[in-house]
Amino acid sequence: MSNIAKPSLYARLFQPLVLGKIPPGKLFLVYLALILWSLFVLFPIYWIVITSVKEAVDVNTGPFYLPWVDFQPSLHAWKDLFVYDYEDTLFAYLNSVIIAVFSTLLCVLIGSMAAYALARIEYKPKFGSIMIFVISMGVAMYVVGAFGVDWRLAMAVALAIFVILVRALSSHFKRHLGNGDILFWMISQRILAPIVVVVPIYMMFQKLHLLDTHLALIITYCVVNLPIVVWLMYDFFVSIPRDLEESAQLDGATKFRTFWEIVLPMSKPGLAATTLLVMILAWNEYLFAVFISTSKAQTMPILVAAMNAGERGILWWSMSVVIVVMIIPVVAMAIVLQRYISKGILLGAVKG
Amino acid sequence: MADKEMTTTAKGLVVRNLNKSFGNVHVVKDLNLDVAPGEFLVLLGPSGCGKTTALRMIAGLEQSDSGSIILGDADVTMTPPKYRDVAMVFQSYALYPHKTVRENIGFPLKMQGVKKDAMEKAVQDAASQVHMETLLERYPRQLSGGQRQRVALARAIIRRPAVFLMDEPLSNLDARLRSFMRAELKHMQHELGVTTLYVTHDQIEAMTLAHRVAIINEGVLQQLGTPHEVYNNPENLFVASFMGSPPMNFIEGQTKGTRFQAPGVDLPITGANDNTNTTLGFRPEDAIVVAKGKGLFDAEVYAAEMTGDQTLVTIRVKTATLVIKMPKDFETNIGKTIGVSFESGQGYFFNTDDGERLRTCAIAAKTSPKKTKRKAKP
Repeated sequence: MSNIAKPSLYARLFQPLVLGKIPPGKLFLVYLALILWSLFVLFPIYWIVITSVKEAVDVNTGPFYLPWVDFQPSLHAWKDLFVYDYEDTLFAYLNSVIIAVFSTLLCVLIGSMAAYALARIEYKPKFGSIMIFVISMGVAMYVVGAFGVDWRLAMAVALAIFVILVRALSSHFKRHLGNGDILFWMISQRILAPIVVVVPIYMMFQKLHLLDTHLALIITYCVVNLPIVVWLMYDFFVSIPRDLEESAQLDGATKFRTFWEIVLPMSKPGLAATTLLVMILAWNEYLFAVFISTSKAQTMPILVAAMNAGERGILWWSMSVVIVVMIIPVVAMAIVLQRYISKGILLGAVKG
Repeated sequence: MADKEMTTTAKGLVVRNLNKSFGNVHVVKDLNLDVAPGEFLVLLGPSGCGKTTALRMIAGLEQSDSGSIILGDADVTMTPPKYRDVAMVFQSYALYPHKTVRENIGFPLKMQGVKKDAMEKAVQDAASQVHMETLLERYPRQLSGGQRQRVALARAIIRRPAVFLMDEPLSNLDARLRSFMRAELKHMQHELGVTTLYVTHDQIEAMTLAHRVAIINEGVLQQLGTPHEVYNNPENLFVASFMGSPPMNFIEGQTKGTRFQAPGVDLPITGANDNTNTTLGFRPEDAIVVAKGKGLFDAEVYAAEMTGDQTLVTIRVKTATLVIKMPKDFETNIGKTIGVSFESGQGYFFNTDDGERLRTCAIAAKTSPKKTKRKAKP
């Protein structure tokens, strides 16, 4: 055995250890570290849960850690929210569910189709055509702003001019962009800090008379999260061997059936992970919600924030209750989707 | 050539002036093929020669730049793959990982909307053809390489397509399994009588499987003929050098009047033309080692390797290194000068500049080496 080379420093430091092969002493340390880290991660959740059953006095004179030992738990905050004010709470909860679910579904649907197209079809948008589009739209906006022309008319004319010019000139343009550029353009939309676009989006929905509606938030969250879906799913689709789709095609499957029967089932892990991520983002979103929804479309994060705006000071206990009920569906989702987010689904597809 | 017994759906395949470029690279150049119904045709060539691209165009997975593909009576050049009635076995097998063996094999029928019980029977049939009937509930990841290969084959045969397309289907198997599957494949193709187009870079596969072999190099069809023809009657230097293991020996020289001259070689020839750069080729197994001065030319033994059933003698004539296959009990010493002899008909002359065979050119029948070959001992 002596001729086996000692693992390099890099290997010893960075390669994952296999639990079965670790000597007992080390194993103890490993478990100790894992337990400490778990405590570190779980403590805030524990704290939120116990705060939700504390009286004001327990919060303000604390800290108290153990219910029934340090303090006497009471359900007064839960009663406040679910018995006396249950209409407000359930209303916000329902809003959150509707907005998160529909924006996520829409976003994953559109985003994964876009990602699949980008992964499998080569696009060559001409540079010149894009310039024509930008210029004609710019001119239209200027005309609307400076001369008060009806925006629908201006847009229609601009689009018509764009189509005519592109049809006439596009064959003369040489330089074009590729799929990589499109993909980067999409993700670049997410690089922009959302606060920058909040006011324009507010004004847009104001013009459309959609402020404080579910639809406005659904559209906003969908658009904001689209780059993430496209980016994640693109990576996933690209990793599916093309052979499989070509084989399905030769076996007589239409493009749609290939997508439905072959690509989609194989993308379950990616779809599950993406859905979960996007759903959580929409569920927790605050910035857009606070601008776009005022009363009718109020979501849970707004309710949480409202707990420190009352004349009674910050209602830590009520806030904790809302946070606890906000966490529950996300945890449930994660548990449901976790079984799809497993590795090895591609095993056995090709070679081996 | 074609076995007609079971051939009900087999169709002929005709390819006319097929061209394909990827960017500036002209991958397939004016390819013409005529495949008879039920024929097993192998496209053979080095990697990157365009054979797979040609196959993919016939499958419909790649659009040709020009030319036409005719399957049976129908021009399918513009037909999408699903309407072409072709089945393909991919090099990677391309099994659907989330489907069981049963679902994989039945997939083409499912796409056709075949009823459950009819499909089940067809799946059983196809699976038993490839001896996989006991593993129908497994997933591809639970199968060995050879078993995956069989599933891929079963999925191809279940539909009884007009044409089988196979893209190096055996290249991912180990050597033993490969030769076994080769025999299986040949038998199966004979049984089913389906027109088959098979791509490989392995000349042994090509020789053993094919009714006819099409040798392709740099996108150009070099020769199309039976394995026997391409081996014994190569059209050009490329075919001559590609077929055979060890490959054909070549001596580069010049023809001057009625003589072929190369360093250390001076032979009388007939049918010589005014071509100056000529290459003489002969196969290792056609030549024999004789005593110094008794053969067509003399050479020095460079090495002798006993491989079991034969001895490969590597010799040097000035700058050229040649190999001669001798019987297993042949013995010689390194550095010894020996003579090399072969029948005049077994020497092939090629134009060195364009590689074309010089068919009129032959060694003058001065030599008539005793065909006691396997006894020779200098």
